[in-house]
Amino acid sequence: MSAGASLRPLTALMRRESRGARGRLVFMTACLAIGVAAVTGVAALVSAVEGAVRRDARALLAADVVVESRRPIPEEIEALVAPGAGAVSRAAQVTELGAMVRRGGDAGADGILLAELKAATAGYPLYGELVTAPAGLRPGALAEDEAIAAPELLAQLSIGVGDSILVGGQPFRIAAELVDEPDRVDFAMTLGPRLFLSPAGLERTALVGFGSRVKHRRLVALESERPKAAARAFIDGVREASDKAAYLSYKSFTRPSPGLTRALDNVGAYLGLVALLSLLLGGIGVAQVVRAWLGSRAPAIATLRSLGMRPREVFLAYFGHVLGLAVIGCAAGIAAGLAAPQLVRAFVPELMESGAGGLQWGAALRGLMLGMGTAAVFSLPPLTAVWRVSPARVLRAEAAPLPAPPAVRLGTGAALVFGVFAFAWLQARDPLVAAAFTAGLGVLVGLLAGAAHLVSRLAGSVPRGALAPTARHGLAALARPGAGVAGAAVALGLGTLVVVALGLVGSRLRTELINGAPPDAPTVFLVDVQPDQWDGVQAIMGEEGATNVDSTPVVMARLAALRGVPIGDLLGERRRGRGRWQLTREQRLTWSEELPGGNTLVEGELWSDPAADEISVEVEFAKSLGVGLGDTIAFDVQGVTMEFLVTSLREVDWASFRINFFLLVEPGVMEGAPGWRLAAANLPAEKERGLQARVVEAFPNVGVLRVRPLLERVASTLGRIALAVRLLGGFTILTGIAILAGAVAASSMRRGGEAALLKALGLTRRGVALLFSVEFGLLGLVAGLLGGLGALLLSWVFLSVGLDMEGAPSLAAVPAAGLATAALAVLAGLAASARALGSSPMAALRR
Amino acid sequence: MTMSSAAPLLQAAGLTKRLRSGSRDLTILDGVNLSVDAGEFVCIVGPSGSGKSTLLGLLAGLDRPTAGDVTIDGASLAAMDEDELAVLRRGRVGFVFQSFQLLGNLTARENILLPMELTGVEDAAARADTLLDQVGLADRGHHYPSQLSGGEQQRVALARAFGPRPALLFADEPTGNLDSETGARVLEMLLDLRRDEGTALILVTHDLEIAARAPRAVHVRGGRIEQEIDRRGDASAG
Repeated sequence: MSAGASLRPLTALMRRESRGARGRLVFMTACLAIGVAAVTGVAALVSAVEGAVRRDARALLAADVVVESRRPIPEEIEALVAPGAGAVSRAAQVTELGAMVRRGGDAGADGILLAELKAATAGYPLYGELVTAPAGLRPGALAEDEAIAAPELLAQLSIGVGDSILVGGQPFRIAAELVDEPDRVDFAMTLGPRLFLSPAGLERTALVGFGSRVKHRRLVALESERPKAAARAFIDGVREASDKAAYLSYKSFTRPSPGLTRALDNVGAYLGLVALLSLLLGGIGVAQVVRAWLGSRAPAIATLRSLGMRPREVFLAYFGHVLGLAVIGCAAGIAAGLAAPQLVRAFVPELMESGAGGLQWGAALRGLMLGMGTAAVFSLPPLTAVWRVSPARVLRAEAAPLPAPPAVRLGTGAALVFGVFAFAWLQARDPLVAAAFTAGLGVLVGLLAGAAHLVSRLAGSVPRGALAPTARHGLAALARPGAGVAGAAVALGLGTLVVVALGLVGSRLRTELINGAPPDAPTVFLVDVQPDQWDGVQAIMGEEGATNVDSTPVVMARLAALRGVPIGDLLGERRRGRGRWQLTREQRLTWSEELPGGNTLVEGELWSDPAADEISVEVEFAKSLGVGLGDTIAFDVQGVTMEFLVTSLREVDWASFRINFFLLVEPGVMEGAPGWRLAAANLPAEKERGLQARVVEAFPNVGVLRVRPLLERVASTLGRIALAVRLLGGFTILTGIAILAGAVAASSMRRGGEAALLKALGLTRRGVALLFSVEFGLLGLVAGLLGGLGALLLSWVFLSVGLDMEGAPSLAAVPAAGLATAALAVLAGLAASARALGSSPMAALRR
Repeated sequence: MTMSSAAPLLQAAGLTKRLRSGSRDLTILDGVNLSVDAGEFVCIVGPSGSGKSTLLGLLAGLDRPTAGDVTIDGASLAAMDEDELAVLRRGRVGFVFQSFQLLGNLTARENILLPMELTGVEDAAARADTLLDQVGLADRGHHYPSQLSGGEQQRVALARAFGPRPALLFADEPTGNLDSETGARVLEMLLDLRRDEGTALILVTHDLEIAARAPRAVHVRGGRIEQEIDRRGDASAG
């Protein structure tokens, strides 16, 4: 038989098999659509945000290229970033730093806050628009005593436009309220609200002269037909001219916010995996639908085989049919998923300010691939039933099933495992994470299936005689072999597990973040305290009742060489990204005679080599720099090179919230270098603002950082992410419900018969519904309890082993999960057996 | 009908089937030998439980014997895997079952078309229509099995069996589920079609009247051939 001749009857059979597939279609569509909607939705959201970043790249940077430094920009670079130099058509200078801002007049304790100052020359922003109310003000055009303030700043100081504030002790008048700043990413962590000054205004405050917290930026717009190449060439040019200034960093509109891109990648991968979980559960549903379907088609398969169809041909016809149904499920899921950006824009507009963009076809393709792939690999194992149906069944219905060939059994199993791995890889973009995900899921499914089996066995051995009829029926149903509910129990249990575990871990992390710091941990940090200000600051702290005052000198320095190799040479290997940043960023050094509290030596001895200037390095930091005991590290301390020998490595308990440093040098070496003092203290919450006010009054340059509001802001961001994850996790429960409904509907013939018989025996419709409810409720209860227990175990392992947090999560989650799942199962089960419940008692006679 | 002196179309040697029942083996069929020539009509007769349906399943390659072998056209079924057996069935062998075994989601005409499509019969559609006409269902081709009576379903099954022009047709109690009048009509159709197409027929029945219509009747009891009646000298052979 030719290929053409063999294909035609297969497709014809496939088409004909789809008759009467409506029930199958509904549940398969439901199982797949929920998961496909989840993966498509996540992908669509991530790419909508990425698309917005790309679309608004120049506005996000306010420039084509930004050159950035914590030190003043060197003269020779200034020449390169001025208009007219090379391709530079326009340019602007921006200076940013954190500083305390006070309300004018009698400020009081609540009239003071930490703000992010920004001064910009005329021309800023080079792209995008700075929106103010009243409209049209630009920082470059402000008078030297005028400011533009963010609404949060105005609200927190209870002032408005026209009122006055003090910055660095100098008075400023609020000329406008800031409505939109193009190059500020909203959900980035910030120290405080924005305050724009003119460059001359910033100079008046005299804050730039102090410390290290100033960011100098040069913004340029390039004139070129090929902007990407021009941006690259411009950066290369500046880099070459600045080989002594390795501390300069660059941003180009081609990648305006590497941090945001990285964060999006991570969030995308994480949420993608959670979404995949509900799709894979949908796969279990598909497997169940296919198994039930093939079970009912065994006579037809036997006939087909007796007519001379080879098993693989029957398989292909049925597989094709499954894929056909899957296309419909995927289409429904994709349609729902693609609406996600619009939905988010409607409900959380600040996440999608610049519009949701067009339809995300890439996300649709991902949904289609994952959905079809899931349907394919999960339907393979049940489809091996085709091989097991003996053609002799046409003569004797009880004909013994044939064994499926080992290659078929192994092949379909391997395809399933490999498929799950490949999908996880596609979502997480990391084969190791994908492997861990696949293995973890396999173990969880195995455990849940084992537990469900055990419960079913137990239910079978409980003496039912003394029970009420409804309870007896429910127990019997749980114990009934091949009731088709094991898959539903696993799916529902796994869904519950995911949601409860996410909830437990999320809430624990939040509490840990807000209340987890030790009681004596510092609540305020003071930065940029100049050496001659320390006594005064100390006196104020004493008067305000600060305890556990800790302070340490800080010298800012940059790496000059590692093991004798100049950083410039090492940069060749780490051209961009975090690796480069690690080598070129400003490092904070301190010195101490003793090992600071919360530090433990893991290698070497502190200050043990009298012949060398020594340094002690935090062990993880040493690893990332690639240095160990006996290596040298040289620093450029504001123009002077100093070399140190690594003689010890330390472990630091960062959770102690104390002042800690990666780099600790031997006392007596750096005392002469220009530096400042970092101080920390513990203060009652109500005293914090008073201390802040008094310090700023006396020493305007000193920054007072309050830990509590910062942590609260982190916790609230974390809470929002956790909510999104839990919502997404909710899809797994939905899938579990769809599977349960599918399993119940697949047994609707049997249930219809049972209902008819029960009614013939005198039970009312309500009575039958109650009987069924007990069965569904018990199933849901068992699934929920197992899921809750699993979640408890999983989150305990994760928190105690993974994060080293002591104590078990609350046990109350288990019964709560059991009851909630039972209620859901009863609702879904009754809805799916509506037809069976309606069957007439006459049907019992006709059967 | 012409008799052939060539090698037999089907040959069974020492066919044995044992099934495990609890702790002991149950012998369903015990060392059966049988040979059927091309175009021949043979009845396998026996009471319920005599092993005749099992014998049919083994002869047709639907089931595997515990011992012995069957050859069709000289090819040993024991040496074939499931795929090869399927290909043999699709080209050379047809079936008619007691319980009709029509595919419920295919119309009558589609049921008839299916095996012809599998074998790639050129004029499948035209032949399906001819066969429908021959079994008296020309205007019922678009009906589903559930819309047909038992006799009509079995006539569709007959048409389906003859579609690909098999050399050998197996019929398992083809009238067993039908009332006597309908059964008689279906049997006539089966025998007419067989004669017209020159198909060898192995028919299993417990009905001695039907067996009497066959030139050769093999009586099975307790899994063995008890008696073989050969009337091939008669001119009236069906």
